[in-house]
Parts: sequence; C-alpha cells; structure tokens
Amino acid sequence: MSGLETSKPPLLEVKDLSVSFGGFAAVKNVSFTLQPGEILGIVGESGSGKSVTCRAVMRLLAATARAEGTVALDGRDLLTLSEDELCAVRGRDIGMIFQNPASHLDPLRRIGQQVAAPMIRHLGIGKREGLQRAVKLLEDVGIYEPEKRARSYPHEFSGGMKQRAMIAAAIGCQPKLLIADEPTTALDVTVQARILELLKELNRKTGLAMILISHDLGVVADICSRVVVMRNGEVVEQGPIDDVINRPRHPYTRLLIESQPGRKSYGTAGGPDRGTPLLSVENLSVTFPAGQGLLGGFGSSNSFRALDGVDLEINTGETVGIVGESGSGKSTLARSIIRLNTPSGGAIRLDGQDVGALGGEALTAFRRRVQMVFQNPYDSLNPRMTIAEAVAEPIWRHGIADRKAARKEADALLEMVELPSSLRDRKPQQLSGGQCQRVGLARALALKPQLLIADEITSALDVTTQAQILELLVRLQRERSLTLLYISHDLAVVSSLCQRVYVFKAGRVVEQGVARQVLSAPRDPYTQALVGALARLPSAGTIPLHNRS
Amino acid sequence: MADSPILVQTAPPARIITPTMLIALVILGGWLVTALAASAIAPYDPDAIDIMNMLSPPSAAHWFGTDQVGRDVFSRVLFASRVDLLLCVVGVLPPLLIGTTIGLLSGYFGGVVDNVFMRIYDLTVAFPFFVLVLAIVGVLGPGLLNFILALTLVGWVSYARLVRAQVLTIRESEYIQAAKCLGYQPATILSHHVLPNAVGPVIAYAVSDAVLVMLAGASFGFLGMGAQPPLAEWGVMIADGQAFVQQAWWICLFPGLAAISLGLGFALLGDGLGLLQRKGVTA
Repeated sequence: MSGLETSKPPLLEVKDLSVSFGGFAAVKNVSFTLQPGEILGIVGESGSGKSVTCRAVMRLLAATARAEGTVALDGRDLLTLSEDELCAVRGRDIGMIFQNPASHLDPLRRIGQQVAAPMIRHLGIGKREGLQRAVKLLEDVGIYEPEKRARSYPHEFSGGMKQRAMIAAAIGCQPKLLIADEPTTALDVTVQARILELLKELNRKTGLAMILISHDLGVVADICSRVVVMRNGEVVEQGPIDDVINRPRHPYTRLLIESQPGRKSYGTAGGPDRGTPLLSVENLSVTFPAGQGLLGGFGSSNSFRALDGVDLEINTGETVGIVGESGSGKSTLARSIIRLNTPSGGAIRLDGQDVGALGGEALTAFRRRVQMVFQNPYDSLNPRMTIAEAVAEPIWRHGIADRKAARKEADALLEMVELPSSLRDRKPQQLSGGQCQRVGLARALALKPQLLIADEITSALDVTTQAQILELLVRLQRERSLTLLYISHDLAVVSSLCQRVYVFKAGRVVEQGVARQVLSAPRDPYTQALVGALARLPSAGTIPLHNRS
Repeated sequence: MADSPILVQTAPPARIITPTMLIALVILGGWLVTALAASAIAPYDPDAIDIMNMLSPPSAAHWFGTDQVGRDVFSRVLFASRVDLLLCVVGVLPPLLIGTTIGLLSGYFGGVVDNVFMRIYDLTVAFPFFVLVLAIVGVLGPGLLNFILALTLVGWVSYARLVRAQVLTIRESEYIQAAKCLGYQPATILSHHVLPNAVGPVIAYAVSDAVLVMLAGASFGFLGMGAQPPLAEWGVMIADGQAFVQQAWWICLFPGLAAISLGLGFALLGDGLGLLQRKGVTA
C-alpha cells in the first residue's frame, strides 16, 4: 500500500493508523509520510479526524481511545513507547502548537519561564541559561522588546503574540517536527498572515519539518508543499499541493475547493439601484462604559468607543458588506440598527424615520421590516423549542395569523430554506450547525422583512456548509427582493457576495466602495493589509455555480 | 436536501432513570403512599393514650413500642409522615415561587431593583440559616404557620440568587436577542424564553431544599418552635422521647430513622436531577 519510493528515509511515517473511541472509529487506516524539511498540510472539516490523527502521533489521546497501526519517527514506533520514553520525545523531538494559544499557556507563569521550561527539562540547562535562550527565541519569533516581554504574563499578550510565544516554546529544543493544529484559526486575518509568514521562515531557515492542520485550504496552499485531504476519518486524497488544487481527483476535494470563499461570484454584482437609501446611518457613535462593576460603574471616565462617527447608506435591493476584524465595531453597528444598543450620538434612519425615536406601534412595524440572523447557530435558537415552533412564533405573536395558520406558514418557510419536513419537531441540539442556521434564516424571514442583517452567519460553519448557506442567502434575496447587510471578518466572502463594502477598523469606516474595486485596488493601508493577508487559492477562472444544496 | 439528519453535540439521550433516581423514587413514593393511607395502615389511633402500656418495648402488638403515655409509636410515625411531607411542600413552594419571580426580574432588567434585592440577599446570607429562622419564629411566636412564614422570608433569597445567575447568562444569549429583535414583549420573553431555560437548576435545588426544610421542621419541632405537641411530628416525637432515651430508645430511634429516610430520598432525587441537568437532558 505504501509504494512510495524515496531516496531519503522519511522523518515521520504513519501507516494504517486507526483510532477509535469506544465503538466509534474516528480515524480509519490513515497513511502518510513526511520528509525532513517538508511542510505537510492536513485539510478537512470538523470531525474529519485531522486533529485526532496528530494527537495520536503525539500520543495525546484520551485514555478511552485505542490507536492501531504504526507511527514511526526516524524509524522508532511512537505507539509502542513507554510513558517515560514518550516524555523524552514530546517537546524534544516533536513540538506542538494549538489552535487557542490562550488556553495552552499557564496564566500564572511568566512567558519567559514557560518558553524556557521545555529546554530546562529536555536539554538539562540551568534556569538562568534557559531564560536567556527564551529571550533569544522570543526575539526570533518576532516579539519586540523580548527581555521585557519575557517577564510578562500571558494576559498581557495579544492573541498573535501568545501564538508566537507558543511557537517559541515549541521550537526551543530544536525539534525535528512541529505539529501545528489550526494555529491561526482563532486569530484575525492580518495576524494570521504574519504567523504563517513566521512558520514559513522557520522552515526555510532551520529546515524544521511541519505538519499544519487546517480547515482552510487557502492557508494550506499558502505554505505547504504537500497536502493530505481527510474526510470522516479517512484520507480521500493526498499529493503535491499544486496537483491537488488544480487537478483534484476526489469529488470531495473538488467540493472543498469550490467552497472556498472568493472562488466564485454569486452574480449579485449587477448595478445597484440608485434610489433613495432604505437605511442611512449618520455619524453614529456608541460608547460603552469601561469596567462595569456590580454597582454599575458610575463615574468611570475611561469609556470604550465601539463606534466613532460612522456614516453608512443602504439602498433598496442592495447587498452591502461590512468587513473588519474582531473588535472593529461591526457587530455593534448591527445591534444598534436593531436597537439592541443605544447610540451615544448620531442617528439611524429607515426611510427617513429616526429609528431611535420609534415606540409602540411604529416600533412593532419597524421590527417587521428589519430582521437579523445571528452568528452562533446553536445559541441563536431557544433550546427548549422545536424548530417549527421557533419559526411559527413571530407570525402568531405579531397577529399576522392564528397559531394553526402560523404552523403552516412555518412549514412553508422551512421548506424554503431547504430543511426536510422530518426535522420539523426537532430541537436545535438535534440539528447540525448548518441546519440551525437555516432555521435562523427562516425565523428572520417569517415577518417578511425588507432589510435582513446577517452578522457573521457562516463563521461557525464548515467551509462547504458555508458555501451552501451563502447560495441559499443569494437565492432568497433574489426571490424575496431583500435588502441585505452582510457582516463578516472574511473579505473573500463579502467581496463575492456584496455589491458595495465598508471596511471597519477600530470603530471607524476606513474605506468604502464597490466590492470589486476595494478588493482589486484598495486605497487605505489597512484594507491593503487585509487584501494582502487573504490566503487564497490560485485563481481558478470561472467555476459555474454548482446546483448543490 | 443532501445532508442527512445528523445528531450532533449531544451524546445518545441519557437515561432519565438512573439507579440513584430509582432508589429516590421508591423511598419518596413509599412515604407518599404511607402518608395518604396512614389511617388505613396504622393499627392504633396515634393520639390514643394507654397508660397501662406505657414505655413498652417493640413487640408483636406494638411494632415500634409505645411512648411515655402508651401511644403506639408505629402509628404515630405513620401519621407524622403527613405533617412532615406536607411541610416539605409548603415549606419549599412559597420561597421557590417568590424567589424565582424576583430572580427573573432582577436578573433580566438589572439596575436599581437588582441592586436592592442583591443587598437584601447579602444581608440574609450574613446570618446562618437556622439562626435567622429561629429569630423570626421567636419574634412571631412558635407554631407551624409562623415557622413556614419564617422559612419563606429567609428561603426566597437562595432561589432568587440562583435564578438571577441563570438569567444573567441567558439574557446575553443570541436567542434572547433574536426574540427582542422579533419584537416580542418583555413579559413574553421572560415567560417563554428565559424562564423555561432557567428553571432546571431551580427544580434540582428545590428538591435538595426539601431536605433542609424537613430537617428544619423536625428540628424546630424538637425545639418546641414548630409543630406543637400532641400533634404527631417526627421532631416533636424525638423531643418528647429524649427524657426517656435511657430506658426507651425506641421512642426516639424510629421517628429519627423515618426522618433520615425521607431526607435521603429527597437528597438522592436532587442528586439525580442535578446530574441530568449537567448532562443537558431537556424536557
């Protein structure tokens, strides 16, 4: 089965690895090899077994897991090593970095100590020398003022700096292999680009072999030379990155590539109607008092400005995108529009009416015209209600129909979002994330709104599900002539979906314009960084909209 | 539709009836039947005095023996279960209802009301539970009714605090924001979206609170502050028997065992419910 003829012996050889938890096989007969100095990508969606595979390599699996097969590092089978021998391998020969750097750093120990710990443990050097080396490592991974920073605690570091510190700790003993499990998923795109650059540089300079696990084919294509595509615990395809991306053999790989945001345009890029703006936001500011204590935090002078003089317009029938990193104020804007926040200055007008002044009947009418779909598929549905109830509730509560007619209406809505009728009486926990997000869409559309706000509705979903939801959204928009405000951190999604985009940074609009222009010729330095940070697959020409849902 | 219905997140539905729950239900069910059918099961009138047979040890005629005035201990234990079981319900329900309502409102709306209630909470928990109840009963005067009143005055704060904590997390969840966005009235949101998701831990707590109430009832009966003699109540019976415990251990032992078993039943039920709660079994 492994007919790989290589001149050099592989650094890591995984052969027929199977991992099962109880009766459930998480990984089935996975085989791959890694040459010294190579960067191998493992791609797959959640539940595909990519993380379990790498944890099996490190022998970090739970006690209930059973691993079979061979995992040979330089010819030594790791699966048969004793716990003592393993401890000598972990951290010494293999380093590992994780998705969420915050939860893998000890909050009570200084960064320098944590970076030095594996070296003191494995290389038998003294504390003083360990710390000196730690400072050097922190410098190597691009942390400014390393001596000062080594004395900081993790909470004083940003997400990107924590991940850099994790990398420093992992490479301290000069391991032969670095396993990076979704190292950039929790980070903003511009930070992600810098971390990937750092990994590439480490590989170039020291010849460190890496396994990069990611759900994002773009990231993998950016830095890996070979890729393994996994699905449901099996390897569906592996090979050099260019071959896999340009000539995918397995239908799933093809689907994965097509689902990459930005690979296709959803055909909404027609000229926007230049009518009167449906919604206009004028000089909007929102401030939050900082450090709200139990007593309400009166009199605190240092308040946090989430939005700072934002102007925005949405015309009827238009699709407008808002892009920004976490903390840029984009969700605050959405919440202000639907009146979940009180603005501290400026105005939001719908058809010229000040939204903030609405009350009573007028407010109810406003609620029917503007609806929102939320980010978290599970959290946005009441766990105690069946999905049909959840969709029917707004209809009868608004007195549009009685409860029975509302149920019928809900059935029609669920059908519209392509949910099979057999799911009607399920509760959210019994559905997949994508299905829950469809329910959220159906509920928002139950009141037949004019303006739909979608706040990061696909960010919690796998990439193929994301593509399906986006297609659904585009179809609904066309059929129901919706005006859409689409909020996302992902510039690629926004530019493929929207006609116009606004780029947010630190509560301000830094750039706005026609989506294509912003993406192809960004003017603001921040937008340029965002566009540059897009880890995209090589352009694919035109791929027809596939009719899958 | 391509994706098949997949079960995610939750493991296979947890068994509702665990062995612990089964034992709890058997004990509680047994006491409920006993309380309802006390007059049918009891061989004697619980208050019938028989001076000739006073302080007689357990025998075929008197299974649990007789007390200092010759009353049948077995019959009295059976009849006392009515009082103690009722006490659990009456002692738990008022604080539960009041506390839940206050917790809901203060957690959801916050602000001044919340602050006032939370300061009352702080004041209340600054005193040991029994001491405070004892002080209130002392002021109001002994008796079952005053005991329950005192229990309510002290007990609601725990429920309010528990519900408030639940509500604080629930009100930030996206389904509550969605409900606001859909234009539901605050009363609707509270009763249909917040409350159903907040009551789980409250129910589990109420059951374990029943243990506390029952023990408090027995203790206050013992101290002469709750149920008054000659009413058959386990605590009163133990108090009555303590002077004779050297010669007649049975007067105190059997009511004590009864109280322990009922307490155990409630405690196990509370445990079981709490476990289900953590496993995320809904409905």
